[in-house]
Amino acid sequence: MNKYVRMMVFVGILGTVSGGLLFGTGAITNSLIDANADALLKSEVLTAHGVEFNFTNIHDVFAESTTTIEVEGEYEAEPFTFTYYQDNANGTITFGFGPTFGGGVWGPIIGLLSLENDFTTIVRISVLQQEETPGLGGIVATRAYLDTFEGKTIGLGDDAINIIKDLDVLTAATNEVRSITGATRTSTQFDIILNNAYVAHRLVWEARA
Amino acid sequence: MKKFFARLNYTKSFNVLKKGFWLENQVAIAVLGICSSLAITNKVENAIAMGLGVTFVTMASSAFIALIRNFIPSQVRMVTYMVIISTFTIVVQMFLKAYFPALANQLGAYVGLIITNCIVMGRAEAYAVKNPARYALVDAFASGMGYMIVLIAASTIREVLAFGTFLNMPVMGEDWVPWTIMALAPGGFFIISLFVWFIRDRQQFDESK
Repeated sequence: MNKYVRMMVFVGILGTVSGGLLFGTGAITNSLIDANADALLKSEVLTAHGVEFNFTNIHDVFAESTTTIEVEGEYEAEPFTFTYYQDNANGTITFGFGPTFGGGVWGPIIGLLSLENDFTTIVRISVLQQEETPGLGGIVATRAYLDTFEGKTIGLGDDAINIIKDLDVLTAATNEVRSITGATRTSTQFDIILNNAYVAHRLVWEARA
Repeated sequence: MKKFFARLNYTKSFNVLKKGFWLENQVAIAVLGICSSLAITNKVENAIAMGLGVTFVTMASSAFIALIRNFIPSQVRMVTYMVIISTFTIVVQMFLKAYFPALANQLGAYVGLIITNCIVMGRAEAYAVKNPARYALVDAFASGMGYMIVLIAASTIREVLAFGTFLNMPVMGEDWVPWTIMALAPGGFFIISLFVWFIRDRQQFDESK
């Protein structure tokens, strides 16, 4: 009996200690993690909109240069808040994509899609979080790959962005982008996420206008 | 100098270090940590990040397990290791996200993957639970570094052949045709196998003895 009591006491103490350690670490780091995420989002939006900033004035510059528009809507019959960041000077529009619109191969791919005020020409894409295979699908988050989308167009139906795996099929069409070498599944998922997020945001944006 | 090295040879810490680095190299001799080795050795920066992460978590968990080794009931020892290893891995993840967000973003899923690395659990069961904390710490450091050295060596070959770069710097010239297979798991399997063969051959290691 003693053996089992000892075991129970040990498990209880271990759970309390590890829980306490995680709780304590969370208490120290959570606010910083949230602040970092907020600063990262703002820095990517401002960079996409071509607004100069530094990390001491980022919040002020963002507040002055960007209008945040939130629209309550639905996505696949579920309530969803569509958030748009519009530049006050040039009208560039940025919105997010994430797990709601499709997942990556190993986890969510979360990022931002910035478009000119025609809601068609891609200004910049940023991937803020991903869990794809390092060195393969993980290339989806690299600036070198994301820059290949710059100046391309995205639209509804046949004008959707098309990530092409077969290089023999790749044309000079403005809605075609080369896939990541050796990461077909990530490329396919990224294609789905971008197009789903675009269609949903565009329809809500147009309905609002 | 000769005397110094001769005396060093008789110290326990030196022998523990030598075993971890070379004689009982976790990848080549114990054949542990192979999954992560195959997955992340396509880029040198990934190998360094994963190696450092595994070394830190192995050291922290081994030291903690060695400190409480006399209190751990044998029936729940594996569960105890898992709880401790996961706790330290999550703590590392939280601190990186809070204080080094750029590095955390670059590491992506690697930090979480440390939990699944057999080396961490292997050192806990094979060494930390039977030895004082200071030796467990040295053993964990040596095992982690032995793992990292093999990772860096394999990733150097893979990155150069697969991408024509070393630490993302071009080294093979513009005409280089990438060996895509080296970026994929089969390329990793081939290179890691060569290292296992090379190290075992140098040591004249015979598994049957």
